[in-house]
Amino acid sequence: MLLASLLIASFVIFGALYLAPGNPISALSGGRALPPASLHVLEQRYHLDQPFFAQYWYWLDNALHGNLGISITLQENVSSVIAARMWTTGALVLYAAIIILIAGIGSGVVAALRPGWADSSVLVSTAVTAALPSFVAAIVLILLFSVKLGWFPALGNGTGFWSSVQHLTLPAIALAISSLAIVSRVTRAAVREEADREHVQTAISRGIPARQLIRRHVLRNAAIPIATVSGITIASLIAVAAVVETAFSLNGLGAYLVQAAESKDLAVVQGISLVLVAAFVLINALVDVLYAVLDPRVALGSRAQ
Amino acid sequence: MSARWRTSATAAALAACALLAAACGRAAPGTGGSSGSGNASGGSGQVSPTKGLVISTPAGKSSVASVTWAVYRPVNSLDPIFAFDYPENTAISLMCESLLLQEPNGSIKPGLATMSTPVPTKMVFTLRPGVKFWDGDPVTPADVIYSLRRQMDPAYGGFYGQVFDRVKSITATGSNQVTITLKQPDYWLEGELSSMAGIIIQKSYAQKQGKNYGTPAGGIMCTGAYKFVSWTAGAGVTADLNTHYWNPAVKPLVKQIVIKGVPDAASFTSGMLTGAIQGSYYFGLSNLKQLESSSAVKVYQGPGQMTDAFVVSAASGPLTNPKVRQALSMALDRQAIISNVYDGAALMPRWLANPGTFGYGTSVFDAAYDSSPVLDQDLAQAKKLVKEAGVAGQTITIGTSSELASISAETGAYQQAAEAIGLKVVLKSVSAADYINFFTSAGARKGIDGFITVNYGDYADPAGLLSTLALPGGDQNYDGFSNPQMTSLLNSARTTANPDQRAQLVAKAEELASKLLPWIPNVQPTNVLMLGRSLTGAPASFSYMFAPWANTLGGKG
Repeated sequence: MLLASLLIASFVIFGALYLAPGNPISALSGGRALPPASLHVLEQRYHLDQPFFAQYWYWLDNALHGNLGISITLQENVSSVIAARMWTTGALVLYAAIIILIAGIGSGVVAALRPGWADSSVLVSTAVTAALPSFVAAIVLILLFSVKLGWFPALGNGTGFWSSVQHLTLPAIALAISSLAIVSRVTRAAVREEADREHVQTAISRGIPARQLIRRHVLRNAAIPIATVSGITIASLIAVAAVVETAFSLNGLGAYLVQAAESKDLAVVQGISLVLVAAFVLINALVDVLYAVLDPRVALGSRAQ
Repeated sequence: MSARWRTSATAAALAACALLAAACGRAAPGTGGSSGSGNASGGSGQVSPTKGLVISTPAGKSSVASVTWAVYRPVNSLDPIFAFDYPENTAISLMCESLLLQEPNGSIKPGLATMSTPVPTKMVFTLRPGVKFWDGDPVTPADVIYSLRRQMDPAYGGFYGQVFDRVKSITATGSNQVTITLKQPDYWLEGELSSMAGIIIQKSYAQKQGKNYGTPAGGIMCTGAYKFVSWTAGAGVTADLNTHYWNPAVKPLVKQIVIKGVPDAASFTSGMLTGAIQGSYYFGLSNLKQLESSSAVKVYQGPGQMTDAFVVSAASGPLTNPKVRQALSMALDRQAIISNVYDGAALMPRWLANPGTFGYGTSVFDAAYDSSPVLDQDLAQAKKLVKEAGVAGQTITIGTSSELASISAETGAYQQAAEAIGLKVVLKSVSAADYINFFTSAGARKGIDGFITVNYGDYADPAGLLSTLALPGGDQNYDGFSNPQMTSLLNSARTTANPDQRAQLVAKAEELASKLLPWIPNVQPTNVLMLGRSLTGAPASFSYMFAPWANTLGGKG
């Protein structure tokens, strides 16, 4: 499944970039007209003089042997380009995911179980943040917390654990904020629905303590829709991360993917895209496994209904 | 509201790249040259071309542990043969040195070597005593010959091969001497050898690294006051103070400099405001005033060498007529471009050349420039010219990219100008990434009458840019422009030894270009230097692109 996705994705991406106008050599030389001899040397070096299928086969053959090729603009192995950046994107998405899970699910549960003041404030704030795209959130957060208050650094990755956490806090919030609202809303609805169910009402009438009731009868049953929506939103963060990484000048995969696509650096675009596709597929697989844990009726290996 | 923000945030970043991408078609090698000892400050003449601009900032006084220096995108290569754009030039000129040195005022001084010209076709370079690489090995004639031949040899795929088209041979003529023999005199080569084409690298190191030289895997070996330490792809290039620098007169104060790519203009601005970035020559910022008004940042404007211009690429149609080009130029609202695109950091043009390029024969250039008219807006005269040419109602097609804020703003100014004088305008918009094709592909230029560029030469000489577009066969002569008087002026300039006489010829060529308008100059951007509050000492002129810029950088006190 994963391999099939990767193969199809690699072909589509390669084809799309090949068809897109532009030429990596002119991006490389900055538009300077190169003497034909130099041009020829560079084209040969990167196999740009070959037909499409030959170029794709050349890439695929190498990729299958663990060689993702060489970046034309950086002259560096694509695998080391990816290795140098993977940690940043991984940490950013993980940090955002933690924020989404804790704050999103937490606020959703609170809103569902505490009608009134708490519920209304969650509703209002999620209505606003759900409509807040990451790039706007990034600008507002930088302006407020870096430039005005000076609490967090405005850009860069930081070195060492604490410095990195500090550097990634604003980006993670910017990345999480709209997904957080969606998760919170879905959690609230799911918990409300479960709380109104007959067996819960029965349990209440039998005097089961509230804490146990909520954990065992409400949250457990509400977990499936919450896990589904959390999984999808977290997986989609991988794509949105590019925007946030650019806004905060983070040295991540997404930000570099954008640059590589602009300069038509095929091998890099391919390599990074495949990593992102693989991560996307893996997160979805993880959510599927989680279903089985959450709901014994879902057996692993059986097809979704 | 959000849509607007998006454009300003991402487009500004792209714009930087676009301008470059566009700048991109910068003046090609093989052109331009300079010598003598000009002073770009231009003195205190009333209409001095660069009046009010600063060339250098006061030298630093105290030691600084580390400085983060921003460029508009990450550095791609540290190999001088592949250096064509701001990030690469900034990083290489920090660490590596050329045979000759371009001073902040554009004049050319001895660099790693002193130069003499016993006969016009011989350039003799004598290495200065004690010049050595970071590893302590002395610079030898073999290193010089290797570095120059590497630039020339098409097998390396370098960008500067054409610069050496008049070179017959390069040979060692002594234990510390290299002689370049020319097919015919070439007083433009000197300027090239003070920029990227003249950078000297260590032969043994480069040969050992092979294709990896200048990449994150291979590193570099040069001679400068800052030595290469590490390069994490994307994270930045780190250079440390070279404690064994060969020139004892230079005493740098900053222990470590990190060159970091910051593609997003909004991110750059907040970085400067919060002190995460301490310095930059960031270019084309539309929110410069915000930085100027901040107490955390000091903004300097110095002489630039870039020209923001409209490239005429018309093979037929109204723009092939010089009168129509004059009319279009007269109808253009240049003040609007200065305030909207450059936020004030640009000058009204008189010539195609930026007055910051007057690196030699300065008094000659200044006098000629001051007596040339400013290209002010004159709609009445413009309409008259169009009437005379009989082209009212005809159509011109302008290539643009709506993704590039500055390019599309200037295209808009041209559209307005053309329509004001009775021409019709068709815009052909391409993606940001494809804008560069207007410069490189004849196919992309087909049917396009013109497009916007920001262009510069490799050293301070007005002829550097002009020769690429006004000489037949020039790299950027897209419309086949040819004028016998222009050709003869520029060709004589290239072979004229005396700087003032050469300046006279070039000044005449520029005056002619202001009438014939092979390209239409839009505005002359100044060079913008931004430093954190506590720093000082970097040159404010465009020379940072070609010569060390951190040697006097330091704390204020």
